[in-house]
Amino acid sequence: MSWLGERGGAATLLLPYLVGLTVLIVAPGVVTAWLAFYEWDLVRPPRFNGLENFGELGRDDVFLAAVGNSLSFIALAVPLRLAAAVGLALVLHARMRGGSAYRSSALLPTILPDVAYALVWLWIFNPLYGPMNAALTALGVGPVDWLTDPDSARLAIVTMSVFTVGEGFLVAMAARNQVPEELYELAHVEDAGPLNRIRRITLPLMGPTLLLLAFRDVVFSLQSTFVPSLVVTGGGPPPYATTYVPLFVYREGFEYLRYGYAAAATLSMLVMTAAIVFLQYLIVRRWRRALLVPRL
Amino acid sequence: MSRGYEMSRDDAAVQRRPGSPDPWRHAVAIPVALLCLLPLLYMLAGSVRAPGLPPPTTPELIPSGATLESYERALALLPLVRQAVNSSVVALISVPVSVIVASWAALGMVMLPARPRRAVIVVSLLALMVPLSAVLVGRFAIFRTLGVLDTYVPLIAPALLGMSPFYVLLLYWAFRGVPRELYDVARVEGLGILAIWRRVALPLAWPAVGAVAILAFITSWASFVEPLVYLFDARNFTLPLGLRSLAELDRSDFPVFLAGAVITTLPVLAAVVIMQRLLGGSRRRREQA
Repeated sequence: MSWLGERGGAATLLLPYLVGLTVLIVAPGVVTAWLAFYEWDLVRPPRFNGLENFGELGRDDVFLAAVGNSLSFIALAVPLRLAAAVGLALVLHARMRGGSAYRSSALLPTILPDVAYALVWLWIFNPLYGPMNAALTALGVGPVDWLTDPDSARLAIVTMSVFTVGEGFLVAMAARNQVPEELYELAHVEDAGPLNRIRRITLPLMGPTLLLLAFRDVVFSLQSTFVPSLVVTGGGPPPYATTYVPLFVYREGFEYLRYGYAAAATLSMLVMTAAIVFLQYLIVRRWRRALLVPRL
Repeated sequence: MSRGYEMSRDDAAVQRRPGSPDPWRHAVAIPVALLCLLPLLYMLAGSVRAPGLPPPTTPELIPSGATLESYERALALLPLVRQAVNSSVVALISVPVSVIVASWAALGMVMLPARPRRAVIVVSLLALMVPLSAVLVGRFAIFRTLGVLDTYVPLIAPALLGMSPFYVLLLYWAFRGVPRELYDVARVEGLGILAIWRRVALPLAWPAVGAVAILAFITSWASFVEPLVYLFDARNFTLPLGLRSLAELDRSDFPVFLAGAVITTLPVLAAVVIMQRLLGGSRRRREQA
C-alpha cells in the first residue's frame, strides 16, 4: 500500500523518529564502540590507548567474575523465564471467567517500577525477618542466608527475574492463540492426551516464537540484572557474587569515571551475547532438522 | 492480503479464543495469579507497619495495627513530593511528545512503499533488541558533549523514539487497521498529511493511541537508570531515584522504604486501571457496532 508522491509527506512524518533512532541508538552504539579504544575520565580529553582496555579486562578479576555471573545467570534464568512465560500462556490463554483478571495479575510484576519491585524483594529475602525465610522455616526447609551467601544471592536475583515475564507471556499467548484449533480437535479425535498435545502440537508450532523469546531474553539479561544487583544485593556478598556485567559497566564508568574501560566491557559483553545467541540458533537448527524427520 | 475492517477480525479472534474453559484451568490459574500478585501484596502489607519496629517472625500478610506512620516517616526523610513533581514534569512533556513522534512515524510507515517500510520495521525491531546497557556510555558521552547533563533533556529524549520502537510498531499495526478507503477519501478531499493524521488516523485508532500514551507515561515515570546517570543535583531527582536514596538511608527499615515504593507505584497502577477501562470500553463499543 503506497501513495507514490506521498513519500515526501511520509518521510517528514518519520523524521523525528528516525532522528531519535539515530541519536539515541545508532550514534551511542558507535560512540561506545569508539570509546572502547580510548581512556576517558570526563576531565581530560579522551586518550587513545588501543587494545589496552581489552587487555586489562582480560586480567581484571572483577570483570571475569562479572562475566561468569552473567553467564550463569543466563544459563539459569533464561530457561526458567521461558518456562514461566510458556506455562503462564498455556494456562491463561483460554477464554474463561475472570480470564482478564488472571492475565492482568500475571502482567503486574512486570509493570511495577523496577526500583519498587526490587525493594519488595529486599524485604522478602531479608534473612532474619523476611517472609521467604519465615515460610521456609515453617515448611521445615530452614532459613536461607539469602543476601549473605553467594549462591543464595544469585538464586535470589534469578527468582526476581522469573516473576517479570510479562512481555514473554504476552508473546507466548499470542503464539499459542495462533495455533489452529483444528489440530487440537484432531488430537482429541485421535485420543491424544494433554502431554502429547503439548509435545506434538503446541510446542513445535510455538517453536519459532519461543526461539525469538529465548534470543531476546539472552540479550536482555544484559540489562535486567542491573536494578536488582544495584538495589538488593549491591553487587552482592563479597567478593562480587552478584556483580553482573551491567553493574560492572555502571561502576567502572559512572563511579570510577573510566568511561573507556566501561565501553570496552560493554563491547566485550555484546560480542559474547551475540555469540551465545548464534550458538542457540545453531543448536535449534540441528534440533529442528532432527524433529522434521518423519516418525513412522 | 485482504483489506477492510481488520479490527473486526481481531474481534472475531477474541470471540473464538481457543482452548476450552476446563475447570482445571481455574484451579491452576487462581494460585498462579495469586503468586504473581504477591510482590504487590507484600509491598502494601509491609508499608502499613510502623517504622523501625522489630518485624514479626510469621509471614502474616495482614498486619495487626496497620498504620500510615511509615508513610509519614518516608515523606519526612526525603523530599518525595518534590521528586514526584519532578517525575510528573518529565512525564508531562515526554508523553505528548512520544505520542506525536510515534503516531507520526506509524502513519509515515503506513504511507511508505513496501521496501522502505520494511526497512523501517526491521530497524525498529533491531533497535528493540538493543539493551540500555549497550548504549548507556555512548548516550552519556553524547549528552555531555551537548552540555545537557543534570537537566531533564536526556530524560525526555527517549520520547523521540516514541519512548520505545515497540510503541511505534504498535501504532503502525493500529493505523494499518483503519480501512484503506478512509485514507483514500481523505486524499481525494485534498487533506494534507497532518490533517489525515489528526482527522483520520488518530481518532479511528484512538484505543491504541490511548494505550501508547499510558504506556509511555508508565515508562517515563518508572525510569530509573537514566535519572541515575544523568542527574546529580538531588533537588532534581525523580521519584524512583529518590526511592532508592530512601532505601539507602536504612536498608533494614523496610516499612519506610516500602511506603516509598507504594507511593512510587500508585500512579503506575492508576495508569494500568485507566488503560484497562480504555481498552475494555473500546472493545465493548466494537462489539456493539
